[in-house]
Amino acid sequence: MSTDDRNWQKLATAARSLPLRMDVAAPFGFSTRMAGLAMSTPRSASWALFEKFAIRGLIAACACGAAAAAFGYSSWNSDHENDTGADDGVTEVFDLS
Amino acid sequence: MADETFDLVGCLERVRVRDQAAAKSLVEHLYPLVIRIVRAHLPRRVPEEDLAQDIFLKMFSRLEQYQGNVPFTHWVSRIAVTTCIDQLRAQKRRPELRWADLSETEAEVLDNVLTDSRDDGPSDSLATRELVGKLLDQLKPEDRTVIQMLDLEQKSIAEISALTGWGQSMIKVRAFRARRKLQKLFQDLQQRERI
Repeated sequence: MSTDDRNWQKLATAARSLPLRMDVAAPFGFSTRMAGLAMSTPRSASWALFEKFAIRGLIAACACGAAAAAFGYSSWNSDHENDTGADDGVTEVFDLS
Repeated sequence: MADETFDLVGCLERVRVRDQAAAKSLVEHLYPLVIRIVRAHLPRRVPEEDLAQDIFLKMFSRLEQYQGNVPFTHWVSRIAVTTCIDQLRAQKRRPELRWADLSETEAEVLDNVLTDSRDDGPSDSLATRELVGKLLDQLKPEDRTVIQMLDLEQKSIAEISALTGWGQSMIKVRAFRARRKLQKLFQDLQQRERI
C-alpha cells in the first residue's frame, strides 16, 4: 500500500468512526403525501405497454428487415445472373444479342 | 430492514391495484433503506427529503417494470443510487481542491495525515468526515459511489454489485480509478503545501 493510499485509509477509518444518524423513520406526513402523489398520478397503461413491447418490437422489425433484405438480394442477384439481356429493348432494337 | 414480518409481496400487489394505504405502508417500510443511501451519497445543497421524494416517485412510476428477477429492496436501492448519481452529475464539477478551500480544522486534519507517519488516524471525526466529503467531491459520481460504499460503508464488491446493478469488474475498475485520483489529490496538495 502506497503512502497516499495509506493516508486515504486513515481518513476513511476516522470518518467511519463518526456515529451515523439514527433517525431513519419517515418524517411525519411524508408517507401519506408520497402515497397520495403516487396514486393520484394516472398510470399510462398504453405507455407502459409500449415500453414493455417496444424493444422486442424493434428487434423483431430489425430481424424482418434483415431477412427481407437478404431474400430480396438473393432473388435480385439470381435474376441478374440469369439475365441474358433478351428482354432489353435496346438489345432488341439494335439486335445485339 | 426494521420490520421483518412485513408482507412485501402482498403489499406490492395491493399497490398495483392503486391501494393508497398499501402505498403508504410501502413508503414507511422502505424509507430507512432509501434515507441511508441518500445520506451516504447526498449531493451538497440538496435536502435529503427532496431526494427521497424523487426516489419514491420513480419507484412508483416504474413499479410495472419490476419483474422480480432481483429482490425488491435491491431494485429500489438501484433507483436510489442512480438518482443520487444523476443529482451529482447535474451539479457543476467542483473546481480543484486547494488548501484555501479547507476549514482550519480540516486543514489541520489533512496536515496531520500527510505529515504523521503513524497509522492511527486523525482524532477529529467530524472535520475528517467533512474533509473526506470534499475529497470525494473531486471524483466522478460513479467512482465516488463505489469508493464510498467500499471504504466508508465497508460493503463487499458483491454487495455493491447487487445494490447498483453494475458488474463486479466494472466496480473494481471504478475503485482503482478513484484510488488513483485520490492519490494524485494527496500528492498535489502536498506539493502545493511545500510551495
